[in-house]
Amino acid sequence: MPKRGSFRASGALTAVFRIYLAALFLSAFIPYLNPARLSGLISKNASLFTLLSYPAIGSNFVRALDRGWVEQPALTLTYLGTLVCGLGIALAAAAFCVSLGNVRMRRLSAKLAGGAALTGLAGTAVLLLAHGAFAGAPNPERLDPMLPPGLPACFGLFGLALLLAAAVWLTLPKPAGDERYELKPKYRLFLMILPFLALVALFSYLPLWGWRYALYDYRAGFELTRETFVGFRWFRYLFSNAATRADIVRVLKNTFAMSGLGLAFSWLPMAFAIFLSEIRFNTSKRVVQTVTTIPHFISWVLVYSVAFALFSTEGFVNWALVGTGIIQEGTNYLTSGENMWLKMWLWGTWKGLGWSAIIYIAGISSIDPQLYEAATVDGAGRFAKMWHVTVPGLTSAYFVMLLLSISNILSNGMDQYLVFSNANNKSAIEVLDLFIYNLGLASSSTNIPLATLIGVLKSLISVTLLFGANYASKWVREESIV
Amino acid sequence: MKKKGGVRQPPEDLLFTFFNGLFFAVFTLLCIFPIYYLFINTISDNRLVQAGLVNLYPRGVHLNNYRMLLNVSELFTSALVTAARTALGTLLMVLASAFTGYLVTQREMLARKFIYRFIIITMYFNAGLLPWFLNISMLGLTNNFWGYIIPAIVQPFNIILVKTYVESIPKELEESAFIDGAGYFTVFRRIMLPLCKPILATIAVFGAVGHWNSFIDSIILMGSQPRLYTLQHRLWIYLNQASNLSRLMESGGSLTEADLAAALNGRITSLTIAMVTIIPILLVYPFMQRYFQKGIMLGAVKG
Repeated sequence: MPKRGSFRASGALTAVFRIYLAALFLSAFIPYLNPARLSGLISKNASLFTLLSYPAIGSNFVRALDRGWVEQPALTLTYLGTLVCGLGIALAAAAFCVSLGNVRMRRLSAKLAGGAALTGLAGTAVLLLAHGAFAGAPNPERLDPMLPPGLPACFGLFGLALLLAAAVWLTLPKPAGDERYELKPKYRLFLMILPFLALVALFSYLPLWGWRYALYDYRAGFELTRETFVGFRWFRYLFSNAATRADIVRVLKNTFAMSGLGLAFSWLPMAFAIFLSEIRFNTSKRVVQTVTTIPHFISWVLVYSVAFALFSTEGFVNWALVGTGIIQEGTNYLTSGENMWLKMWLWGTWKGLGWSAIIYIAGISSIDPQLYEAATVDGAGRFAKMWHVTVPGLTSAYFVMLLLSISNILSNGMDQYLVFSNANNKSAIEVLDLFIYNLGLASSSTNIPLATLIGVLKSLISVTLLFGANYASKWVREESIV
Repeated sequence: MKKKGGVRQPPEDLLFTFFNGLFFAVFTLLCIFPIYYLFINTISDNRLVQAGLVNLYPRGVHLNNYRMLLNVSELFTSALVTAARTALGTLLMVLASAFTGYLVTQREMLARKFIYRFIIITMYFNAGLLPWFLNISMLGLTNNFWGYIIPAIVQPFNIILVKTYVESIPKELEESAFIDGAGYFTVFRRIMLPLCKPILATIAVFGAVGHWNSFIDSIILMGSQPRLYTLQHRLWIYLNQASNLSRLMESGGSLTEADLAAALNGRITSLTIAMVTIIPILLVYPFMQRYFQKGIMLGAVKG
């Protein structure tokens, strides 16, 4: 029977062991700790995880292979070392999962961790060999062979893992003969959901780390280094550079105009639903509802192709207008830059009106019919009933929708504006989201840090607006919306 | 006091009914006519289409435009990519939503509340376009088919839907299964998956339409890999070419006969691709409509 004190010590050791294994797993995602960056040709921003697919290594050496600067074995060796290190990392992750179990499981975990450490050490050894192959390549100065800081770091990390695994193994009590592998339900459930949490972290939280690009003088393909760190220079640039400031003012004007039109007419879906419910024939009601929701399921590219068919010079609209003598000669409505705000709002309404009305249609059907009967008894006519019974029954839903659209005032999305934009209407159609896309990804002279910074500011303002809207909702309706 | 039942309506009521009906008739027509117009333009004689003479009904019906698309190999590849991402992406998304949504209802889970919030809160913020792109590219998912699939697997909103649905199922079903010795996986597969079918169908329908329609991710992520462009991305490229040519024509630039032919061809090709892309949606739409409507109603339910 082990003493109480030693048991507590082993408990603390297990905790350290678990945390260490988790950290070891995460290290595979940190570019600085990448042991496989044996040549300057491999990006400094690639982590061990990134290099696990062969093309990620091989694609850097196409030219070098062609010119005979390096030979295939060096690359194969690098890839092999990466794979073995990756296997070690995977084993460490498995050891972490198993370490949540009972004593028997933890002994297995120590074994796994030992295996992970040995595998990892073997991997670093292979990478060391590959380093030798790079250094001895026919034309080393072209390859910029290097011993990355990740290589000794990995060696140390795996070595420490080996020591820890041994310590855990030695301090764990021998399991009773009949003890079975067991994992408590709370850990079992946690491990089941862990892969999905990892996906969320990878695609929703990790991008936040990318906010640091706003602090560097970064260009695509280059690296974040201490020399390119510029602090808040882009922030000052945003406000002091006249051209940028003019752009921002123009873009914000577009954004607020389009969102503002949407807000000003946010009652439209409700009116649509109320008047639709006044139609007596159920069949025609259903037909209207079915057909008017179709545009919602059509992408903006398809909407644009519809617009292209209808509004171009050969299209239906010109035919109808010329035919009825309203205009003399056909024009191409899509390429003109006039009334862009109104046009965009109209397309948005065409696409979304029927769909947004559904929530109100359902709201109407859940209003107590007795209210209508009582109103009839009191002598209310059709319009009085609409105004005094139906509308009050829907205001709660309307309020939620309104607050949500207020908090989304900066986010119009870019699909619609991207597909409709062209050289003639660009200045009037560019909303914030599209501006960020054009600035950071699409224009000939991209400015990634500035686009990142504007995105950061947008995100912060949006979150603030959402909390504000939520607070307003709590205050007015005593119910939160998020 | 007025008589109930509306046997005879007062005249202003009749007027209202008339204009109300008229409004909805016109709006309904506005919603469906453009698609009809697109359709008749793709099956009519191309020369009449060019002259702008096909407006209300098809003239000189032929299917050559559709047959012609079969010869454009890049379109075939794009259709394949789109179909593959729709099928695989939807399948994985539905399974992940079902499983995660079920798991977060399990009270024994370690740090359940924290985990649930950790997932849900991501609906309300995003890091922005550039960090998102740089992240995906760092993970090696640009110019990679999996770039369509993996980032879209976990959808917080779907998890809320499944969670709410599972919570409405009587606890006893699950408990009796546990007493019979079933594990979490068994309960999920044998009990929850069949019982959650309605909500999973809703999620699947929305997911599939989303995957089928998406083109921004194709534009942003697949830049140097035209093999992986989705159908809608292709359509966008064709539309751009066609409208650029027609803009050139209007600005009175010197155009050869070949340019004019290309402009016409581009227009017809774009419209035909658009039609091909819309058709699947229109085909599934009537069957799926009840799920669509259920979907937005569930959207009103908070997590």
